[in-house]
Amino acid sequence: MSNKKEQNLEDSYDVVVIGAGNGGLSATAFLAQKGLKVLMLEQHNLPGGVATSFVRGRFEFETSLHELASYGPETNKGNVRRMFEDRFKLDTEFVQVPEAYRLIVTDPNEKMDVTMPFGVENMIDAIEKEVPGSRESVKKFFDLAEEIGEAFNYIGSTGGKPDQGVLMKEYSNFLKTAAYSTQEVEDALGIPKKAQDILNGYWAYLGLPISRINFTIYCTMVQNYADLGGWIPTNRSHGFTTAFDKKIREYGGRIEYNTRVEKILVENGKITGVETVNGDKFKTNYVICNASPTLTYNKLIYPKSEVPEIAYKDVNARIHGLTGFVIYAGLDASAEELGLTEYGYFIMDSMNTEALYDSWTVLKPPKGLACVVLNNALPDCSPPGTCILDITTLYKSEPWENVKPEDYHDTKTKIAEELLINFEKATGTSIRDHIEEIEIATPATFARYTRHYKGIFYGYEPESWDSIVPRLMSMGKDVYIEGLEFAGGFNRRLHGYSSALGDGMISAQLTYAKIMKERDNA
Amino acid sequence: MNEGNKKKLNITVKSNTKDLFAFTKLVPNRMKRIERASSEPITKDPINDLARKLHPERQFLIIDAIKEETRSTKTYKLIPDPESETKKLSYFRPGQYLSLKVDVNGVRITRPYSIASSPTDVANGFYEITIKKEENGFLTNYLWKNWDIGTKIESSGPEGFFFFERLRDLKNIVGIAGGSGITPFRSIAKAIIEGKIDARLTLLYGSSEEDDIIFYDEFKEMEKNNPTKIKIIHVLSCEEVSLEGCEKGFITGEIIGKYCDVHASTFFICGPQVMYDFIEKELNKFNLPVKRVRREAFGEIKDILKYPGFPKELADKGFKLKVQIGGLSKEIPALATESVLVALERANLAPPSKCRSGECGFCRSLLVSGEVFINPISDWRRSADKKFNYFHPCASYPISNIEMKIPRDL
Repeated sequence: MSNKKEQNLEDSYDVVVIGAGNGGLSATAFLAQKGLKVLMLEQHNLPGGVATSFVRGRFEFETSLHELASYGPETNKGNVRRMFEDRFKLDTEFVQVPEAYRLIVTDPNEKMDVTMPFGVENMIDAIEKEVPGSRESVKKFFDLAEEIGEAFNYIGSTGGKPDQGVLMKEYSNFLKTAAYSTQEVEDALGIPKKAQDILNGYWAYLGLPISRINFTIYCTMVQNYADLGGWIPTNRSHGFTTAFDKKIREYGGRIEYNTRVEKILVENGKITGVETVNGDKFKTNYVICNASPTLTYNKLIYPKSEVPEIAYKDVNARIHGLTGFVIYAGLDASAEELGLTEYGYFIMDSMNTEALYDSWTVLKPPKGLACVVLNNALPDCSPPGTCILDITTLYKSEPWENVKPEDYHDTKTKIAEELLINFEKATGTSIRDHIEEIEIATPATFARYTRHYKGIFYGYEPESWDSIVPRLMSMGKDVYIEGLEFAGGFNRRLHGYSSALGDGMISAQLTYAKIMKERDNA
Repeated sequence: MNEGNKKKLNITVKSNTKDLFAFTKLVPNRMKRIERASSEPITKDPINDLARKLHPERQFLIIDAIKEETRSTKTYKLIPDPESETKKLSYFRPGQYLSLKVDVNGVRITRPYSIASSPTDVANGFYEITIKKEENGFLTNYLWKNWDIGTKIESSGPEGFFFFERLRDLKNIVGIAGGSGITPFRSIAKAIIEGKIDARLTLLYGSSEEDDIIFYDEFKEMEKNNPTKIKIIHVLSCEEVSLEGCEKGFITGEIIGKYCDVHASTFFICGPQVMYDFIEKELNKFNLPVKRVRREAFGEIKDILKYPGFPKELADKGFKLKVQIGGLSKEIPALATESVLVALERANLAPPSKCRSGECGFCRSLLVSGEVFINPISDWRRSADKKFNYFHPCASYPISNIEMKIPRDL
């Protein structure tokens, strides 16, 4: 178009944030609030990345959030609530989901159907009821989790350089568990197998078998949910991401949607600017990248000769995590009429999490599901006499890589159908006759909207060697290009809404400190 | 948490020494693994490749053949433009549309057109779209004069939600089509015959004159060869009818009841806006569940004055739109009775758009100040967008001077 060039942007910014996912939004809000000149670029026409919503017919579906950990009630605010309410005063509203989860294990040899309440003591009681004699060991799990949470806060406060003496003295249990898997520590605590299975219900939110998932990250997540409850926004995730959008503009930050970064310009190891597919040229010395290191080093850094060898090695050493498969169903009967009594269901063939994980590596219906009946937390989220059901499972990207476009719809529909049947069998409900709207998202869908490498939304796998502890303690050492920070689910705090939001704050603080130091020196 | 209890906890996983040693090795081990890893760049991403094949941001096409269907209708066969980056057409679900981008005398506009060919023909390298010339149609007048074999056309990927979904829909499909609204049903019928869709189609097709019936022979042939799968009933609204076996008048509840097992069918409706208003009332008589009636987005509302809630006193009013798009700010004129998108297109400032019905959200823009009228029947905005003043210009009409920020085309 003749006047497209007129629409190009050319300007300098203190910081350019690439990507308006959770990490990009919190980072941009922080910097804009501090009065820096900040620009956030997003390739989609909405904020949020996977934290969004979409409308079909009479329904507005939540795209990916099941519940926020780290939000918490007014009287016991978690990090995210403090960020949203106290720091940014976002115009949002959250409600607590009614129960922690209902775990249904369908294997006849392991059959289980338990509903876990929120509250650490309540959870311990509920497990004791199911598994008499488990109380003491399960209590230790939560005590440990609390100490580990405090240790994380301490390490964070030192910028990843904790004093070994303090760690030894104050957080010795953290030190002694930091290198182990959840399985190893649960065994060491003497938690009975069935109580482990119940405690491991949330495992799919981290997406690694219990034998591989690092204990410190798993137990703090469980403790966070138990202590603070699970919370969801009343207007879906799009509610708080759009509240961020508004706040960033109020603070004087600039946001450009439908604007895809083509090049992060680097000269002599230092960031000098950003160019977009749209034709914009921005000067900046600081970039906070909400895109993954994988995408950034392999695609965005320009010229390629500026990508240090260690950056490629870093990316190649990590294990790329999971992407997903979601059925979004708008049903023409109420949750009550359908007998859907809970908000969150974990439906697992068994609690052999290795076998479940393996089922995510082949193009077949996976054996573990996490399902949400939104109306059981938000009764008015759809018209009277209807409800919204999301059925989520995970996949490695590989099994989807060879699906041909002409087979794609059949493939996903068949898998979805079997998952719906499995859901019906496990819950004893009948939902397929009530489908009014249905959408099925696959790894390709997540790639389409986020442009993440292989559609991955679970970042790098947090096995002990690459879990939060070594990542936090490598802070600073993994900056390979001056002025470049990452933020979001691929970064130091691991994936998940709360982690990505919190990570954006850390990256923004680090960048802010550097800019202030530079100004002081000038 | 009880302080006393916490102090007592002293965990040992393997042994005190081993546990502490394992901790001290965490960072060095991670560094070692990184140092030992390959330094090869990653160049492939098959999942994004699949996503782009399914949902290309744009397709560059060229007209390969033109067929006159009726006195006012033409079918355009579109193939990839060999001089472009489009090597293969994107696969689609029968019933989906393409949003074409056309420069009409220097004004760039978009229009959604249902794909009329079978998805199998994607493998044969073509799409077909069938366009009816509208009286005083801004775009179609231009197309009739200028589109010829070899004309290059830019298109979106396949879009829209008007397709058979076997997890939701019954195997008896009743299509209700008016005028050029038959085009998606040609694709659906072909897919049924080819075994791509396991369903039966009964099509009630309304035309104003016999000469206006599109695909008459083709459907007759399909029906003849597949009597258990395809059935078409022509409904003609003109006075004189010579065609045998057709119904006269409009597609009424009575006609629907006569040819269909109403309560064991899923209805798909595609046609002009006036037909929707009419059919809606007729179908209401059957009290069908919402899920049994699927509607194609009907495109831009042409006569907004007709709809309740629109401030009629503004019928002749014009307003100023202050528009920010990327680095450009401009003030442009707009009419209350035309969508904000049309005003933007006329000024060559259009944001990306596809459905032009308020449904796809592709043109989502920020209303900084001022007021727009949004017809509730085409208000598909997210709840938070309503709260934070985001709107879809294709389904919004200015009723004051407004200031807005719109996204650029990517």
